[in-house]
Amino acid sequence: MKKEKKHLDFELNLIPFIDLLSVCICFLLITAVWMNVGSVNVKQAIGGQSAAETEKKPTLWVFLADDGGLTLETRDSSRMPASLQKYSLKGQEGKTDLKQLLVQLQEMKRAEPELRTALIQPKPQTSYEEIINLMDSFKTAGMADLGVVPL
Amino acid sequence: MLNQSVLKMTSLQSPLLAASALKPKQNVWKKGLAADLLLTALIDAFSILVIFLLMSFSSTGEILFINKGMELPKASRAEVLDRNPVVKIDEGKIYLEDKLLTAETLISELLDIRKKFSIDRPGEEFRGIVTVQADRRIKYEFLNQIILACAHAGFSDLRFAVTMK
Repeated sequence: MKKEKKHLDFELNLIPFIDLLSVCICFLLITAVWMNVGSVNVKQAIGGQSAAETEKKPTLWVFLADDGGLTLETRDSSRMPASLQKYSLKGQEGKTDLKQLLVQLQEMKRAEPELRTALIQPKPQTSYEEIINLMDSFKTAGMADLGVVPL
Repeated sequence: MLNQSVLKMTSLQSPLLAASALKPKQNVWKKGLAADLLLTALIDAFSILVIFLLMSFSSTGEILFINKGMELPKASRAEVLDRNPVVKIDEGKIYLEDKLLTAETLISELLDIRKKFSIDRPGEEFRGIVTVQADRRIKYEFLNQIILACAHAGFSDLRFAVTMK
């Protein structure tokens, strides 16, 4: 007796699959966070150790001016050449020249690779955005430890 | 009635149906105006959408509630934001977790958080992290009050909320 040949192929029911994908899309669209928010981390000194006990590390002090200019001053560094220890950068239309700052910071990092700390001293009228832009430039230049000097 | 519907009369035979192994209906293509929906292309589009949305999915959810008028500064070297006490500066007012405060009362509230932490988790080191959410246009003289209050209360780690570039 000859057996009837069975079909090995079968039809995949796509409707539940489409349903599942639709539910997934709806859920993900509702729960999606469209604004990508991050944080710029700053470590502030809050006291506890005296200045004499604190280990001396090369530190870059950044003094902001009202016109967007700034002065970079390296302290506690033996390797930094005298020409780079104090450097002034003029502001451009009331804003800091971030490109020039980055070039200067990279030069300083080449001279003193241990330079990882920067302390920013803004003016009362300095905008928050300007401070964050500066911090971003310092992070780009490889300075991980940042601080803001209170008024 | 259903068999006489316009769609039934005018639609093309589905390629899936035509290729079906159980009920093969090859060579029964009808000429018509409307083409049947191509399910393969639809599933492809859905799958791409699901993959894209899954990649951009954030399990942490909304940590910060940003009001309509507030614009966060932008930064390219920002780190991932964690859940910490949030100090918000909005329209010249200071809020700690949506509670309206002044610079003086902020110190006592932050000290309360610190005290509560030492009661809840005895022996654990207090990390002193606070997230600062402020508009990009505010001046440093205002932000200075927050920095000083945090320093007074022993919160040394400040996380300035930014929008990623």
